[in-house]
Parts: sequence; structure tokens; C-alpha cells
Amino acid sequence: MSKDNTKGYSGLLDFDDDDPLNATAVSKKSLVIFFLIDTSGSMKGKKMGELNTVMEELIPEIRRVGEADTDVKIAVLTFSTDVRWMYSQPISIEEFEWARLRADGVTSMGEAFKELSIRMSRGQFLNSPSLSFAPVIFLMTDGYPSDDYKAGLKLLKANSWYKFGLKAALGIGNEANDDMLAEFTGSKETVVHAYSGGQLAQMIKIVAVTASQIGSKSMTLSDENDKELQDEDVFAAKQTLLGQQIQELVGNQNDGDTVPFDTGW
Amino acid sequence: MFNGFSHSVMGASHEAKNIVCQDSSAHKVHDKYAICVVADGHGSKKHFRSNIGSRCAVEATVETIEKFYENVDEIEANLPTNSKLIIRNIEKQIIANWNVRIMEHLVNNPVTEQEMAPFTTMEFEAIPPESYYGTTLIAAVIGRNYTFGLQIGDGSLVAVFDDAWTIMPMDYEESNPANITASMCNSNAASMFDSFYKRDKVPLALFASTDGLYTSFGSDNDFLDYHTILCSQLGDLTNFEPSIIKNLQKRSHFGTEDDISLSCVFNNDLLAAKQHVVDAKVMENRERAKTRKNELMRDMHKQRNEVVKRRAEELHKR
Repeated sequence: MSKDNTKGYSGLLDFDDDDPLNATAVSKKSLVIFFLIDTSGSMKGKKMGELNTVMEELIPEIRRVGEADTDVKIAVLTFSTDVRWMYSQPISIEEFEWARLRADGVTSMGEAFKELSIRMSRGQFLNSPSLSFAPVIFLMTDGYPSDDYKAGLKLLKANSWYKFGLKAALGIGNEANDDMLAEFTGSKETVVHAYSGGQLAQMIKIVAVTASQIGSKSMTLSDENDKELQDEDVFAAKQTLLGQQIQELVGNQNDGDTVPFDTGW
Repeated sequence: MFNGFSHSVMGASHEAKNIVCQDSSAHKVHDKYAICVVADGHGSKKHFRSNIGSRCAVEATVETIEKFYENVDEIEANLPTNSKLIIRNIEKQIIANWNVRIMEHLVNNPVTEQEMAPFTTMEFEAIPPESYYGTTLIAAVIGRNYTFGLQIGDGSLVAVFDDAWTIMPMDYEESNPANITASMCNSNAASMFDSFYKRDKVPLALFASTDGLYTSFGSDNDFLDYHTILCSQLGDLTNFEPSIIKNLQKRSHFGTEDDISLSCVFNNDLLAAKQHVVDAKVMENRERAKTRKNELMRDMHKQRNEVVKRRAEELHKR
């Protein structure tokens, strides 16, 4: 009676439209990309203008990352005096429209971490059974938190989706604290810094596209000795790979717009 | 009175890598009860014999439950008052039986040099032998007026009752993306089982599946509706079975590319009597799915329109 290890079907798949089982669709593997964006008063002016423009340009690029294999969804959380989601749930990249952000208020980053921790669960934003990839979480800020970010980060670090997610951060201008951002990502390699408008555009694209590409790959990575890694190690290895690729790409970039944020903006 | 089927299909990703199917499935039908069982071998480096581990798990489960059911009337009389204790004993016995089987396999088939090749001597010695065979397990029993099930690791069990109410009686665990799951090979495996026993509703059909099936759906609602549809077609199982296999292959191919196993047992006589109820439920689910989809699209478009409007206003201001 036992039917084990049945040979798989390898030919062309020919499915009958009248099959009642076709009434429920097959879902592709899915990935959620979280953008955490500082919209406090210090971002006002050219920084926010540039960020809005880059994000609008970025969406089609991320759309190409998913293509046929992966259903990529976007969730944007902004934080200033309040924390706010751009949409009430992650939106498929095909449907996503960027809502231009405005800057005002203080930097409630700790609250943003708490909010993210609540939403990153099976009962909330990550409720699709087909969610097979750990999320990508990309933090962008130009200053130091005005609330107790450590309390929020502690909560976030207890969340298993965060633990296995791909984390990256972008510091904007001279005031952004890279050490604090490295606390968020877990390594300095996944933190980049932009001091001008040109750099901001480059960095956002490098980080978001690279993280999406690595995040949506089904990988059995090899370690430095070309040995297969355990499942549990693959997530750590993905994070390391992200750091390496980001640093490599950042190193190859021109300065672009050389007017520094803090003089130009 | 009871009937059933069980199938394991190889995942598209495993086929591409020329890896054997790690899943196993079985069902066993008796006069007064029937068993469905699936197991999902872990398939990663240190679990290099998990295809055999999953096969041992389904065989150990069927054998153990049959032993407990040697006197059917007695166990059925005791279940209402001692379900927890009985199920716990079954779980312990399955683990013991599985360990005997895998150790016997190991004695008869010592680890080869090829199997050891990916490890250093120290690495290999650090792996407990039962880990070679690591697997999950989900099993359930359908009786005339009760059902129970047990589970270690991920995967799903769905029960359809005589009013076509379709549920997952054991909660899907809050899994994380690292796919770290409880396993038969854990040293404390016997304490890691989830289980349920239900006797206030009459079961029509039970479906056990490995996680490759669940992850091919976009929502829990779709997953449950799928099982109600499956149930509605069981009356003509001979003709329907090829469609099931084809659909599992499709779900693996276009979904997560994982192996998929599905095992089902059902009450044939009851299904014949309740066919109209299940058919009506399928129609109702179809309408509900349409409503859910429309509401979701309406909500998303409303939010999108607001975004577009805000953007237009900003551009106008500039």
C-alpha cells in the first residue's frame, strides 16, 4: 500500500481545463521586501525629493528581479513622529505604485522596529502559505533615532523572520550613524552610506536590487571549501553574500553627483 | 465502508538535481477504521538517508496503529475518556518502531564511503546515526464517528466532516523561513508531537499532506477549498485518481518545486449519502472565493487610486 519515492513527472505538463482541482490556483514562491524609511524633518527638501524619485525608478527594476519564478511583494513603513504603512498590506510588485513621501517630525525608529516585528508574522503580513523566502528588510535614515531604538530592536531580533531575513541599511548624510545601522543589519558590510544625491540613487538601487536578487534565489550555497551548507546556514551565508556583493558594487561606483548632502541639501 | 489513496510526487527541483524523492505516503483501510500517513524526509546534507527514513516512518506508523487497533472495540471504547494517553502511547511507539527500523537498515547497510565523502571525519562522527534518516510525520485515523491525528514537524492535516465543514484540526506551526522543523530524529521526538482527537462531529474524509502541497497555495482559504473539492470527487475515485496525481505534479512544478505527498482516507458510504452537501459547499466556497478576491482587489485599487491622486496633487503644487 505504501507508495514511496514515486518517479516524478518530467514530460510536458498538459492540464485539463475541466479538472475541478484547477479551480484553486497554484501560487508561485513569494518574497516580501520591506522598506523602512525615515521621513523625519531632517529628510525634508532634496533628500526626500531624491529618495522619492529613486524609489519610483526602482520599482520596474525590482519587477524584473521576480519575473516568472517569484511573486515579489512590497511593504513600505515610514517613520517620523508616527509610524505608517504606505499600504495596509504587502502589495504585489506588479500592482505597486510609489506614493511620494513628505518629511516632518522626529525619528521614531524604535517604534518602527516594534511595528515591523508585529507585522512580520504568519498571522499578519507574512500569511501566504507560498511565502518561501525570508524577507528583505532595507532601512534608510539620515539621523539618530529620537526614541529608544534599542527596545524596538530587541523585540525585532526575537522575530524569526527578522533573524533569517536579508537586512541592509543606508545612512544618508553626515548625521547617520553607521554603527547603529550595523546593529540593525548585523554587519558593517551590509551598511552603505550616501553623502550626495547621486550616491543616494546609486546606493538605493544597488542595495535593493542585490538584496532582491539574493533574497529570491533558492540556494544551496557552498562554503569556502566548496562544501554544501546546512539549511540553517544558508540564511547566514545569504546575508554574508549580500554584504560582499554590496561592498563590491559600491566600490565600483563613481561619485556621481559630488555635491555633499549636508552642503547641497 | 472506508476507502483511500496515497501518492508521492517528486519535486521539480529534486528532479532537476537528480535527487530521489524524499517523501513517502501510505494509507490502510480496515472495516471499522482507516489510516492515512505521509512523511517528508529532510533531504539536506546530514540527513542523507531521509528518503529511507520517511519510508520507515510511514511503515512504522501503519504497523503501530494496527497493533493498537488489534481489538478495535476496546480502543474505540477507551478513546473518548483516554484519548490523550492513548495517542501519546501511539506516538511513543511509532518513534520506537521507527528507530528499530532505521537501525536495522543501518546494520544491513553500513554507511558508504560515498555517503561519508561530504564530511570530515570529525564532522561525520558528530552526526547522530538517526539524523541520517531525519523526517517529519503526519498521520490520522478515521473511525465511524470520531477521528484523531498526530504530527511531528511541518505538513498539514485536513478533515472534512459530514456537513462539509473543512478544517485543519492541528494548527500549522508559526514556521520561520529557515525551514527548521521538528523531526523524528530529535532526541526528544516523542515530546514534540502535536495531536488532536475529535468525536463531536462525524468525519467524512481526512487528508494528510507534506508541506509542498500547502506552500503551493496563496491562502489558507484556497488550501481548505481545494480539499473540499477533492472530497467532492472521491465518489468516483478510480476515474479521479489520475487527475489528483496530475494536479500534485502541477503544484510542484509551478509552485515551490518541492516533493508533494497526499494521503486520504474517507467514509465511502457516508460520502454517498452526503454528496449533495459537499457539492453545495464547493459551490458556496467558489462564490466566497470570488467575493474575497473582489474585496481584495477593490481595497487595493482604492489605496492605489489614493496614492496616484496624492502624487498628482503634489506634482500640480510643484
